[in-house]
Amino acid sequence: MIRPVLVLAASATCIAAVLSGSAQAASAAAPEDAAARAHAYDALAKLPDWSGVWDPTFSPGQRPPAQPKLTPPYAAQYAKYLQANRTTPGLNFVSAVSSCVPPGVPMSMQQPYPIEFLFTPGRVTILIETDHIIRRIYTDGSAPPADPDPSYQGTSVGHWEGDTLVVETSAILPETSPLMGINGHSDKLHVTERIHLASPDILEITTTRTDPAVFLEPYTTTASYKRHRDWKIMEYVCEQNNHDALDRNGNAAFSLEHKPGEKQ
Amino acid sequence: MKLTTTFAAGALCAAALAPIMPASAHHSTAMFEWGKEQTLSGTIERYEWTQPHTFVWIMVPKGQGGETQEWGLEGMSPSWLGRRGWSLHTLHPGDKVAIVYYPLKDGRPGGFYVRVTMPDGKEMEALPRRAPASAPQGR
Repeated sequence: MIRPVLVLAASATCIAAVLSGSAQAASAAAPEDAAARAHAYDALAKLPDWSGVWDPTFSPGQRPPAQPKLTPPYAAQYAKYLQANRTTPGLNFVSAVSSCVPPGVPMSMQQPYPIEFLFTPGRVTILIETDHIIRRIYTDGSAPPADPDPSYQGTSVGHWEGDTLVVETSAILPETSPLMGINGHSDKLHVTERIHLASPDILEITTTRTDPAVFLEPYTTTASYKRHRDWKIMEYVCEQNNHDALDRNGNAAFSLEHKPGEKQ
Repeated sequence: MKLTTTFAAGALCAAALAPIMPASAHHSTAMFEWGKEQTLSGTIERYEWTQPHTFVWIMVPKGQGGETQEWGLEGMSPSWLGRRGWSLHTLHPGDKVAIVYYPLKDGRPGGFYVRVTMPDGKEMEALPRRAPASAPQGR
């Protein structure tokens, strides 16, 4: 009967010591941390103003991008897509995005719905309306992880060159599309985005893709986004009412089934 | 007056343009006869203001016997329509409307809705009237 009491007493003493120790540490460090935090947040005010919501469906009439120079397997895939564009009106790119699989970088930035930016110390976060995609771009100078798991949005680090944010992204899932008209790429796909204000309310993003399995030379496109200060990002749950999932052969399809629970 | 003039000019421009390309779509348009305008009239059964697409369910008279057939028409998303004058209150069950749509290639009673003539005669556009030169192309 004695031992448990002793243990309890000892534990209580330890807990008290730990609690008082951490309380002292917190109170000792707080003013310094608060100053550092305030300084880090103050520094954000020096960054360019990218507030508001940015619409990518706006175009100031840019020239179409140059044709990509592709390796044979991807050239064949792309030629098939271009041929479909010549013969069939409409949008002829079939991808798993129809089945509510999210697009990866860089296509996630070129969906027809708007995006917004958040600046916090050491990080830029891009919120994409389509599929609620979140891109975390670490700008604290840390190196990208050595062996990251591939993901749809990849692993991004960024740095500022004046008013231009330069984002480097890799470890992008190979089943995603690097370009309209092409499905798939290797695990070597690397995407560089240079993001800057071309004019007060036009954001320009120049995107360069390199992947020796797909591109014979780096392929660069430029997209413009128009600022809408009064827009709000909406909810976007692709599974809510999708009638366009691909069929079992991966072809475009269309369902006239009602949503579950609705009258048939 | 100014509004009327703008609308008239818009209609003229629209008429001169080639069939609309979807600057925004969640998917390939391979299942539709894109650009081939058809018209149907009927009574709205339900309007689904949902992602990734809105959906119109409409009962359309079939034959002379008073029978009707249900049609399902997909449209642009709330993200797109909601920023261009539409809302979940734009169409109501029971509304009698005429709808211009692009039909399904396989002949089922469905398609993609392009514009709607409302019960009061007002026309609501549901697709961009012209394709930007380098529109970002999505789903």
